[in-house]
Amino acid sequence: MNSFADRFAITGPIAELRKAQANVEDDEFSDAAWGSEAGFGSLAKGIPTFTVPNVPDPSSFLRLHTDDHADPNCRIKIQHGTTTLAFRFQGGVIVAVDSRATAGSYVASGTVKKVIEINPYLLGTMAGGAADCQFWETYLGMHCRLHELRNRERISVSAASKYLSNLVYSYKGMGLSMGTMICGWDKTGPAVFYVDSDGTRLKGDLFSVGSGSTFAYGVLDQGYRWDLSDEEAQELGRRSIYAAGHRDAFSGNTCNLYHVKEDGWRFIGNYDLSQMHYEGPSGTGYGYDIRVEGRSSADAPPATAA
Amino acid sequence: MSIMEYNGGSVIAMVGKDCVAIASDLRLGNQALGISSNFQKIFPVTDRIYLGLPGLATDVTTLRELFRYRVNMYTIKEERDIEPETFAHLVSSTLYERRFGPFFIEPVMAGMSKTPSGGYKPFIAATDLIGCLNFAKDFVVAGTASSKLYGVAEGLWEPDLEPEDLFETISQTMLNAVDRDAYSGWGVIVHVMTKDKVITRTLKGRMD
Amino acid sequence: MPDMVSLDRAGPQQRQFNPYSDNGGTILAIAGADFSVIAGDTRQSEGYNIQTRYAPKVFKLTDKAVLAVNGFAADGNMFVKRVRQRLEWYRHAHAKDMPLRAIARLIQTMLYGRRFFPYYVYNILGGIEEDGSGAVYSFDPVGSYERESCRAAGAAQSLVQPFLDNQIYFKNQTAAPGTTHPKHLPLQEVLSLVIDSFTSATERHIEASVGDGLEMYVVLARGSQLQGLENVPNVQEMTTTSDGERIFIIRRELKKD
Repeated sequence: MNSFADRFAITGPIAELRKAQANVEDDEFSDAAWGSEAGFGSLAKGIPTFTVPNVPDPSSFLRLHTDDHADPNCRIKIQHGTTTLAFRFQGGVIVAVDSRATAGSYVASGTVKKVIEINPYLLGTMAGGAADCQFWETYLGMHCRLHELRNRERISVSAASKYLSNLVYSYKGMGLSMGTMICGWDKTGPAVFYVDSDGTRLKGDLFSVGSGSTFAYGVLDQGYRWDLSDEEAQELGRRSIYAAGHRDAFSGNTCNLYHVKEDGWRFIGNYDLSQMHYEGPSGTGYGYDIRVEGRSSADAPPATAA
Repeated sequence: MSIMEYNGGSVIAMVGKDCVAIASDLRLGNQALGISSNFQKIFPVTDRIYLGLPGLATDVTTLRELFRYRVNMYTIKEERDIEPETFAHLVSSTLYERRFGPFFIEPVMAGMSKTPSGGYKPFIAATDLIGCLNFAKDFVVAGTASSKLYGVAEGLWEPDLEPEDLFETISQTMLNAVDRDAYSGWGVIVHVMTKDKVITRTLKGRMD
Repeated sequence: MPDMVSLDRAGPQQRQFNPYSDNGGTILAIAGADFSVIAGDTRQSEGYNIQTRYAPKVFKLTDKAVLAVNGFAADGNMFVKRVRQRLEWYRHAHAKDMPLRAIARLIQTMLYGRRFFPYYVYNILGGIEEDGSGAVYSFDPVGSYERESCRAAGAAQSLVQPFLDNQIYFKNQTAAPGTTHPKHLPLQEVLSLVIDSFTSATERHIEASVGDGLEMYVVLARGSQLQGLENVPNVQEMTTTSDGERIFIIRRELKKD
């Protein structure tokens, strides 16, 4: 990583950091600090500036002190573990996520909002670094608004996702971690784009991201059709998140469900996974043991209270 | 990653007034993937001793069989049931035999031991994975949720709980602790032991 | 390559740069209907050594906002200093105190500004929202945040948080038939839960990193009653303005071993 060429190159992430280091002193407080620009600094100047440690290789410094999956023992824990999904169908876009955040084996929170409401027509999902997703998608929302003001029309989902993708690509190799789906409705109809911190940007009908994504895909692929009704689609989203929350230790607690239609997104509800397991949508739980209970000699009926 | 987190699981034991309780979760995992929600970690040793074995699942099976063998040999030779204190030392020395290649298990035991006057008094103990005994007077915990169990138990437990109150206390401790642990959960089983009977209940816990 | 002359045979040298340390301790905040309690122990330690028995981790920002910081004390103190500076600038520019939800967003952007050289600090912000409700915001070191009604952070978070889940959110408890669990607890009950949480953590925490003293800040919404606060021993009022929100501090002893 810290090769001779890297240290003296004038392009690439290391050089960017070196330039940023030089900028820190004279640019720590912009005029914006006095007033109210949400602390994002002056948008006219472009990307906000970051403090960078004065070491030869800042990104390996960051990797040493913050955890990625390789080293859970280091000090600064960044929330990990997630199941998020989004899919396009006849009636719009369904976005469903779980709400668990873990630090090592500790469940740090069971109430995380992993759907970020960028504006009334755009949603972003959160997987990977919670702060990275929250910050950059908020920032994206501000630029989407600027786009509206400049062009007198809403930004397309494609353009918004490309803005985010280009933005995180400019930080490639510096340790950002995000896997997000940008979902919305524009002139082309319902749209879902997968964007991650490696710079990948994919257009598609159906995505799932996070440690529980394989479990969600299992249910999702099995039940997915383009001509799903609204209720069927919402149920499919919920059921997929339940499946992931059940099997994956790092996903769970509750499911947040959103539905994007032509007139923007709508929050459908927050569903407790435990309640879904035992009671389900129609009185019969999703849980395997609930469904087989009392049906065979191997699955004896529950003991009646003495 | 700690080897204790490979399969996950936790056990707690508590003392009450003339009773003891021991509880465990029911999860067997392969790291993040949940495999079974019906994995027994607590085993009856005699009518008055229960042994909890949280840790590596393969060693749970091995140790259960090993202790069954050794307790049977003891019973045949002595022509009487082993006492909890004696059994605790049997656990300790069995684990210490593997001092330099240990079983990855942190046993917890609970029982009622005979007093000289013919009555029974509650007994709990735990050891680390090489057999260092801890005879506590209040509660003992082990497994991936141990720090969470300590916190809740320290807040909820009080001396001289009656069997039903002890059941409520240990159940609430277990349920709330495992909900904050990614590697424990998927249901809970509780045994409450008094001098003349054991009541076993399976609790509905969160399944995520 | 015989015609190449190497000037530096050993190659580039690099030394470990470790600017972080863990100073232990635990912080905790609980929001009520019209109040907020923000608490922290006062021990500062490094490994098994106690550096001091009195180093505050909870700081008053305005009359309606209190910030608790945990992690690396040097980063924490510096961070509080910088937040206070920004709040003062805001006061000069707008002739009022910054609202709580705006302070929360400010803290996010300040933390994220150090995304590549993080403050090793876990923040919990507590206070009164503009609508008069009690609020708690919790942050990770690089600025992701969420409004909650109860949060513990620091060395004993894993001991305290499941206890609070049970006692504040009534998790795993079924309400008696025909009744529901209260959404918010009264102040007296919250204070005794905070004290219980800290005495439990002091008793059981494996390393000697929680103890010595306990500082609890109580922020009361505009026009709300003292709710028995006047009878609490060692209570001291810290209110500086007559805006309406009132702020109190309660100090207690914890075990010192």
